[in-house]
Amino acid sequence: MFDVTELVQPDQGLINPSIYTDPEVYQGELERVFARSWLFLAHDTQLAKPGSFVQTYMAEDPVLVVRQRDGSVKAFLNQCRHRGMRICRADEGVARAFTCTYHGWGYNLAGELVNVPMQDRAYHDEIDKSKWGPTQVPRLHNHKGFIFGTWDESAPAFEDYLGDMIWYFDALADRYDEGLTLVPGATKWVIDCNWKFAAEQFASDMYHVPSSHASALVALIEDPAVLAEFQEQSAAAPGRQYAGNGHGSGFGLRPDLVPTQAGPDFDAWVVANREQIYRRIGEHRALAVNGHNTVFPNFSWLTINNTMRVWHPRGPGQIEVWSWTYLPKDADERAKQAVRTSTIRTFSAAGVFETDDGENWTEIQQVLRGHQARKTTFNARMGLGHERHGTDGMPGRVTDDMYTEMAARGMYRRWADLMSGLSWPEITERDKSRQQREQEAHLA
Amino acid sequence: MSEYTRKPWIRVGRIDEIPEDQALRLDTTPPVSVFRSDGEFFCVDDTCTHEDFSLADGWVEDGAVECPLHLAKFCLRTGAALATPACRPLATHEVRVDGADVYVRIERGGDDRVDGHCPGAIGSNAGRRDAEGAGHGMA
Ligand code: FES
Ligand code: FES
Ligand SMILES: [Fe+2]
Repeated sequence: MFDVTELVQPDQGLINPSIYTDPEVYQGELERVFARSWLFLAHDTQLAKPGSFVQTYMAEDPVLVVRQRDGSVKAFLNQCRHRGMRICRADEGVARAFTCTYHGWGYNLAGELVNVPMQDRAYHDEIDKSKWGPTQVPRLHNHKGFIFGTWDESAPAFEDYLGDMIWYFDALADRYDEGLTLVPGATKWVIDCNWKFAAEQFASDMYHVPSSHASALVALIEDPAVLAEFQEQSAAAPGRQYAGNGHGSGFGLRPDLVPTQAGPDFDAWVVANREQIYRRIGEHRALAVNGHNTVFPNFSWLTINNTMRVWHPRGPGQIEVWSWTYLPKDADERAKQAVRTSTIRTFSAAGVFETDDGENWTEIQQVLRGHQARKTTFNARMGLGHERHGTDGMPGRVTDDMYTEMAARGMYRRWADLMSGLSWPEITERDKSRQQREQEAHLA
Repeated sequence: MSEYTRKPWIRVGRIDEIPEDQALRLDTTPPVSVFRSDGEFFCVDDTCTHEDFSLADGWVEDGAVECPLHLAKFCLRTGAALATPACRPLATHEVRVDGADVYVRIERGGDDRVDGHCPGAIGSNAGRRDAEGAGHGMA
């Protein structure tokens, strides 16, 4: 087994790169990180009516998320208890029942086994169907339309798990009166990299943007004068980064909600609904919290870029990206089209920014095939000792510049606590005393 | 059979409780369901004759109901099995619409079972019962 203290020293910002390659570490993550955390499952609008379902994954485990007749949601492992076949082989749809295609065991929408073919003849009526339903996801939580689930009965309540991250999440989830809707269907692609590169970057990394995305920025903003203005703005308002409970959020402070990357048709809708947005989440938050985010471990979004994704791990060296474009539900068609077009251009599988990011992660993973490469130590020390609390009245640990790796260290802190097998009460206790110490130091 | 010896009409519910392509199940023994298809109401036995499944949860389209478990299909007007793996028909029952209310009359005469093997239902429970002459499939 691995020794977590040799893998990461989060408080020092030191990373042993074998955490991105070691199969044992990966198996440990499935058991200790993914099976114990709250994972994003589906958005309300994907489950429009009774029987609506999607198949998604909790790490490597396929789960069915199903709207019940009474409007509630249930989720269960998409695995038949007879011999392990997938109960449902469709990605999404509307069902009245699910039938395993192997031998025909039948399940209702709640995931209860309701029919076993030839029950009298083959089983001599001796099977207790109530005992042979698929494993249920025991805890689900719907946060403003975002449905999360966890296998762990002892995990903190969802709100406590998010902690101060709720305030940053709500800059998206609570932004509009009519809520959000997704462009139908997830866009899925595979990147040959460890899941933590993606999750960490969306939690903590604004630093890569000027370098990694230089060509994309030039392509999008042809006029050097406009680019110069952007850069001046960013220098004048240095942005912020939040970190807590393994989550992270980072953003540049903006003078206005527009211009957005989606262009004039969407901007017009935003301007027309500016008061609504300010009323719901406050002007300060609406202008500030517009950037990159990760809810630990693998749910990420870019608030004003209208894109969110889950990084499903597929072994130590691969991820399946499931990405969605979200839209204000009641935006007009032109505004919606503008968002769709800009998301395709920027953060789809072939988007100009997306491909820059994936390229870096794949390269790192390639280099880590080397023996010497895996013996090094990575530097996640940016901004170490410059953490702050309550900057600008924002909740939690918030730095006074978006260029820092505080949230990366926070993510590896949570990762290390889970990986070392600490119980949830122990983790919560340690977090609390750490926070207290830090808060005292930061406010002193 | 004279009007006096016949079973009484049972009130099922209001018309608007059974939207188009939906069904309402009555917990009689055995259960029956009232379906609405193309504006017309039909009453048939609720349990699929292949295995056990409530056809009130089935897919209704063009006067037929499809069982979601293994895709057997039945004519709502005649009860006939239209698609395997079911081959035995559903018993049908009288329906009457009176104003805004729907009524059914459930009469089970003698043996409404179709005799003999059920070639489509490979190894189904129903097939076995029939082969052994062990009595009604559902009753
Ligand atoms: S594996 Fe599902 S019925 Fe046999
Ligand atoms: S139970 Fe209806 S088709 Fe099998
Ligand atoms: Fe990027």
